[in-house]
Amino acid sequence: MDAFIEGLTTSLQPMNILWIVIGGFLGTVVGMLPGLGPATAVAVLIPVTFGMDPVSALILMAAIYYGAMYGGSRSSILLNTPGDGSAIAATFDGYPMARQGKAGEAMALSAVASFVGGIMAVFGFILLAQPLANFALRFGPAEYFLLMLLTLSAIVSLSMGKMVKGFISMSLGLLIGTIGIDTQSGVYRFTFGITELSEGLDFLIVIIGIYALGEVLFNFLTIDEDSKKERKKVGKIWFTKDQWKRSRMPMLRSGPLGFIIGVLPGAGGTIASMLSYSSEKQLSKKPEEFGKGAPEGLAAPESANNAASVGAMIPLLTMGIPGSGTTAVMLGALIMLGIRPGPLLFENQPETVWTLVNSMFIGNVALVIINIVLVGLLVKILDTPAKILYPLIVMLAFIGTYTLSYTAFDFFLLILFGYFGLVMKILDFPLAPLILAAIVGGDMEQNFRMALSASNGSLGIFFNSGVSIALLVLIILSLCYPLIVKAFQRRKADPIS
Amino acid sequence: MKWFKLGMPVFLMIVGLAFLISAINLPKANLGNPNGPLYFPVGISILLIVLSVIYLIQELRKAREANDHIRELFTGRTPVLILSTIVLGVVYALIFETLGFLVSTILFLGALLFVVNGPRKWVSNIIVTLAFSFMTWYAFGELLGVSLP
Repeated sequence: MDAFIEGLTTSLQPMNILWIVIGGFLGTVVGMLPGLGPATAVAVLIPVTFGMDPVSALILMAAIYYGAMYGGSRSSILLNTPGDGSAIAATFDGYPMARQGKAGEAMALSAVASFVGGIMAVFGFILLAQPLANFALRFGPAEYFLLMLLTLSAIVSLSMGKMVKGFISMSLGLLIGTIGIDTQSGVYRFTFGITELSEGLDFLIVIIGIYALGEVLFNFLTIDEDSKKERKKVGKIWFTKDQWKRSRMPMLRSGPLGFIIGVLPGAGGTIASMLSYSSEKQLSKKPEEFGKGAPEGLAAPESANNAASVGAMIPLLTMGIPGSGTTAVMLGALIMLGIRPGPLLFENQPETVWTLVNSMFIGNVALVIINIVLVGLLVKILDTPAKILYPLIVMLAFIGTYTLSYTAFDFFLLILFGYFGLVMKILDFPLAPLILAAIVGGDMEQNFRMALSASNGSLGIFFNSGVSIALLVLIILSLCYPLIVKAFQRRKADPIS
Repeated sequence: MKWFKLGMPVFLMIVGLAFLISAINLPKANLGNPNGPLYFPVGISILLIVLSVIYLIQELRKAREANDHIRELFTGRTPVLILSTIVLGVVYALIFETLGFLVSTILFLGALLFVVNGPRKWVSNIIVTLAFSFMTWYAFGELLGVSLP
């Protein structure tokens, strides 16, 4: 409790409130850009936190992350171009609303729904984080290895229909993680004679390369089409009583749903918002209005995806294991700030954790205000031609890369990964497994080897505890999941059986 | 288009083989298990090679299927934009430390804007380049204390 109050006072310091507002605004702006999502926003804005004290930097990063989640739905509603998977569901009813001249109402509704989902999830975080951290304290290397394996296999199998590509993406990430000095033996691995690689490939370069440079290059494919798209008029920024009545229950139902999905490994905003959309459609008395501008069809997924983004912080902070591409980027930022997430974080630096929690509260309040009051300004930014904004993001990606280790050699790596990210996007590879594997890969290998050396080389250690066996079962289930779904669909499609 | 789709699995196989070969040739560790540093990369690179073979077979089966993104990649200004971004990035990397942050950034961002935004909008290109270069130089160099060349 003391730590909670300490966290509250820290996050209420005027400077930190200012950081929350700045971060929220910057995140909203980048998240709003068509075709760019929260992962890009966090990746490209990481260098802004240089030279700040870790707690303020953490607050700023979190604010950028939430801001980007709020901002993502702006371009879904106004332009029908979601920035990332979790903003797709907002186009289903958000864009039809905008076409009917209700863009302002849609934006206010989505901001309030995000707020409701976010706040509910913060309460969930307070309830669940500490017990989970205590539980994770009992994990040994074997359990950690299996948990990471589960996260990776879940994220791959949830990228439905792309299993092979997903596992290729994962293997590449794991190989990237092995480059550099092996910390257990001091052996140099895969440096291919390049001295700059001896300390390993900084995964932040991989992140910035793929999510910032690669995404911009990918957006170049359609850059001349976007300018023809007409932005819908905004109008009054508040919703009607009737819209509120229809959406408040869906909002309240989707918050907890999104939160729980966010906590699960490998799931996240996309699945949370899609699931809440389809379940609200089933519950609705007027399902035929879904897809034609039903307010609850916008409010529910918005609430769910924001709740999921808070829920995703739980495995990230309590176990140091990110569950999605965006939280993987957040983990990269945290490690860079010298914060090592894991159960020990709750024991050694509880004030850091609770400062973050309180800043989530304040951040959500600030963001709902920013997104309603400043909507005019935000929409003007959306009017700035993408042809000017994209070069600026490329520029920021280069500067950000330079600040990581002060060498222009890293620019070559940045370009390499930017180009590779582009090719992967063109060929429809999921990128999250690569990023996730590149970040946890090193730890995963170390835990694997530590477990084996503790058991003198016997693989039995992975079957030794109830937790390991449960994790193994979950891994097998996650690998079979696409097959189960396929079988289920076939049965449904076949009228005879 | 076909070479683009089939090039990827072949490239991935080469990456997997390169890692596998150099993993097998790794020096033995003096500490702990002498083969300790080896298992994990060997396993992963074999996995990558196997997956790439499956991927290649999948792609061969549907080599004729159209991919919109690949079509877009070779239409209009796209190839020029992507190629010039990469080339300008390489040039930027080469001049960054010798010419210093400000000069090289102005050249890089200016050139990029001329290519992407078009030479006709040269006034706004120059304004954005100068404003943004000075702003980042000030923000990073002065406010955040990053030492820029």
